Amino acid sequence: MSNKKEIIIKATKLKKSFITGDTEQTIFENLDLNIYRGDFTVIMGSSGAGKSTLMYSLSGMDRPSSGEVVWNDKTITSLSDDRLAIFRRKNCGFVFQQIYLLDKMSLMDNVLTASALSGANKKESVKYAKELFELVNIPEITRKKFPSQVSGGEAQRAGIVRAVINKPEILFADEPTGALNSNNSTAVLDVFTKLHNDGQSIILVTHDKKTALRGNRVLYVKDGKIYGECDLGVYTSDSKYREAKLNNFLTEMGW
Amino acid sequence: MKKIANQILYNLKKEKSSFISFGVIILITALILNCAAVLLCQVDSAYDTKFEKLSTATLNAIVPEVQNSSELEKAIDETEKVEKIESHTAIMTEATVKDFNGADFTMNTVFYNIDDKRTLNNFEIVNESENDVDNPIYIPLYVSNFGGFALNDEIIYVIDGKYHSFTVAGVIEEMQYGNYGLGLLCVYLPKEEFAELADSYSDKAVVEYSMSVKSDASLDEVKDDVSKAIENKGVMALSILDSESVKGTRTMVTDLLVLILAAFALIILAVSVFLSNFKVKNAIESEITNMSVLKALGYTSAQIVASITLPYAIVSLLFAVLGIGLSYTLLPVLCSVLTVQSGFSFAVSFDLLSFVCVACILCGVVSFFTYISARKIKKTQPIDGLRGNISSKHTKKNYFPLEETRGNTKFLLVLKQIIASTKQNVMLFLVSFVLTVLIAFSGTLFYNVVVEPDNFMSALSDEVADVIIYPKSDSVSELELKLGNDNRVQNSLKYMSAIVKIEEKTVTAFACEDFSKVRNDVCYMGENPKDADEIALGSAFEENMKIGDTVRVTVDGITKSFQVTGFVQSVNLQGELCELSLEGYNSFFDQNQTPALYVYLENADNAEKITKEYKSDYTALVTDTVNSYKLQTEAQDMYMGITVVLVVAIFAVTILIVLFILYIVIKSLLVKRRQELGIYKAMGYTSSQLILQTTGSFMPVSMVAIVLSSFLAIYYMPAIYQFIFETLGVMKNNIEISFGFLMLFAVAQILVNIMISIILCMPIRKISAYVLIKE
Repeated sequence: MSNKKEIIIKATKLKKSFITGDTEQTIFENLDLNIYRGDFTVIMGSSGAGKSTLMYSLSGMDRPSSGEVVWNDKTITSLSDDRLAIFRRKNCGFVFQQIYLLDKMSLMDNVLTASALSGANKKESVKYAKELFELVNIPEITRKKFPSQVSGGEAQRAGIVRAVINKPEILFADEPTGALNSNNSTAVLDVFTKLHNDGQSIILVTHDKKTALRGNRVLYVKDGKIYGECDLGVYTSDSKYREAKLNNFLTEMGW
Repeated sequence: MKKIANQILYNLKKEKSSFISFGVIILITALILNCAAVLLCQVDSAYDTKFEKLSTATLNAIVPEVQNSSELEKAIDETEKVEKIESHTAIMTEATVKDFNGADFTMNTVFYNIDDKRTLNNFEIVNESENDVDNPIYIPLYVSNFGGFALNDEIIYVIDGKYHSFTVAGVIEEMQYGNYGLGLLCVYLPKEEFAELADSYSDKAVVEYSMSVKSDASLDEVKDDVSKAIENKGVMALSILDSESVKGTRTMVTDLLVLILAAFALIILAVSVFLSNFKVKNAIESEITNMSVLKALGYTSAQIVASITLPYAIVSLLFAVLGIGLSYTLLPVLCSVLTVQSGFSFAVSFDLLSFVCVACILCGVVSFFTYISARKIKKTQPIDGLRGNISSKHTKKNYFPLEETRGNTKFLLVLKQIIASTKQNVMLFLVSFVLTVLIAFSGTLFYNVVVEPDNFMSALSDEVADVIIYPKSDSVSELELKLGNDNRVQNSLKYMSAIVKIEEKTVTAFACEDFSKVRNDVCYMGENPKDADEIALGSAFEENMKIGDTVRVTVDGITKSFQVTGFVQSVNLQGELCELSLEGYNSFFDQNQTPALYVYLENADNAEKITKEYKSDYTALVTDTVNSYKLQTEAQDMYMGITVVLVVAIFAVTILIVLFILYIVIKSLLVKRRQELGIYKAMGYTSSQLILQTTGSFMPVSMVAIVLSSFLAIYYMPAIYQFIFETLGVMKNNIEISFGFLMLFAVAQILVNIMISIILCMPIRKISAYVLIKE
């Protein structure tokens, strides 16, 4: 069970609010959450529920209004911007819905730009990048192309390679298939599954059930808190049981 | 129309700060250009108006009174095209003014009787003492302003070693003489004082013939005819000045200033054009989607082009008008400086022609080049813009692929960024290169005026010793012996100046025992005269003479032939001079003339002491002594002061322009790369890394341009200075282009650029990775 696993992130009394004029809009408040090593955690919720905001608060990409986020006994909420950047470079990988590859660089260069930060030997980085490109099924000729010259699926898979090139503790993905067609979505999700099977911890935000099925732990955000949690177990491609369990859970949550 | 107006307002508001920065550059350009234009339009006419108002003669010939006769007057009067003639007696002599701007100032001076009736060469008393003063004298504006003499001040003239003390009773403005550059000044004395002086110096009495010539006459021809008429009567003219030469000398610095200001303004205008083009191209690139949406909605290409071009036209026009307005606060300062040099006062007023020209040039040039850049939008199909096909078309080749290129990845990223920003870097290269020309110009000026002042002074002055001793007629050898035994003295030279006539021209002659030993060798072509029959002519003769020619020189009515050995220059005498050997000069006389002794010291700091010492200790041998080192250093200090102000002004304006340019470039860059920087931050790049990476993407190009321009300055700067000095009549200059100094200025410029860039890149700190989520 999840609670027997090692905790990577411990969030305590998290609050995130935005102030617009005289009005304060609270996204979540008094939120406690643990993230475990090796889990493929999926965050679901209705639009505007604050699932992305929660994920970015956990990753150090955004600062919560109050509360504490502790990674392996290290509090990141008090770090300066530059220290947070260094922290992210060592611990986090990000995959975005809009992909956000650097458009004037080839897919390979995008990946190596990220690897340059790890301080790893360049030859080893190139070798590892090639392995990852193989893993996500992007042929060598495509790796040399610019983002605007490849399909959305290929670009997103390259985005995943860039996110994991520095072997992050957690891979964060925000609606990674949101802008992709069905075939491309499946290919991208397969990559996430492969990475999870290899031991990669993942936090993924989605409102898509098919995508959520790839995770082993589903959190449902509602009314500014973790409204419910569902343990789906290990993903298999044709598990009717997992699908039913997720459907029941989401119905229960008011999805 | 309303739709375009909305679009223009939107564009102006969106990039308010960039447009203001651009506007400030235009403002500076307009300010400088309008100063040049107003001076160009008004100084000349102000001069002519005053010339007419004072009924100034177009030709003035001065002859010794002893040689004057009614036949001579008749001959001059009957010269063809001479319309009117008027004569006055005066005293003409070399006189030294004591404490002229802190030193002794020696100049040929004509003393006039102020009470003489005049219909030509009138003068205006611009300032007059309300009290009766002892020994009153009326001095010209130039002596008052430049020499620092106010009303009621004592002014001492030393003539042949004799001191004459006067009190400044008034300051006059006249257009006949004017400034030091003519080699001749005038002063006016009341009847009694004039008569007293005339009694003392009857041998220096002269008659001046002032002439007005017919409007259809060629001044040069009439001048030649008058010279011949005088010569034919066996008279040696001491001076023949024509109004064109006088005007040229008096407005020389104004013309030079106009030239420099205009060049300066055009360089900044070129920078503004580069900048507006860059901004427009950038705007098209980053706003292509919005522009395509407008096209898709039915806006015409012309409307979109107008919405891009018109904000620049409006900003240019507004700030040009503002700059022109501000120039009228600077112009009075320039006028007062020019008044000191030109010796006539003038005030500028609002100049409509300059206003229209400057505003139209600036607005027109900026609008034209902006339009050229903006019209590319016409070729873009809306769908291409909407699909973002425009930017992908630019990305054709992957330069420095990280996988294959050897080297540090972060360094390669900077190189990639440099390549990705080619247009921006080309613009920065050109701007940096051009602005470095200004820096190199001011750096060279600084070096030659402040660090090595002799380089500059030698170009502008004649021979300057540390001390000049005027011996009594039979004491030259004895004094030379004493100077030879004085261990503070390096060497001394017999040197003298006199008025001689070469062919038809009256010029100043300098005679020296050995020109190879002078400190400031003014010979720019050929050689100095050595033998008794050799002569070096002033640059004014270069057009009609060549080395090896024989010329006739007349002194005291005796004419001898000399062979031309070379050409010499003098900024003060407009090239109208010559050099003779002492032997050559003395060959005109039965008895050797008494020369001055130019004394060169081991340590110039002793000049004051030696000047006083020789004057007081050897009264039997010495007529007078002059501390010319002091005079030289005073002049040097004045030039240094002006240069430091000029260099600081050029540096400040350049830095200001660099600041605004970098602000515009970096701001566009941060807007354009906002998302990219967010991606880098999400990857874990720190703000410091990104600031350095961003600065690194354009600084190397700017640095290369600065270093290259500074390096090339070694080749182009001498040409620029040669051109400027030739405008001043200096054919040979010792301006040194110091490579070390150029590099020092280049390094300073680079450091300032880096500092400004880093500061301007600081907003990168505020771009968070979270920007990706929010957008």
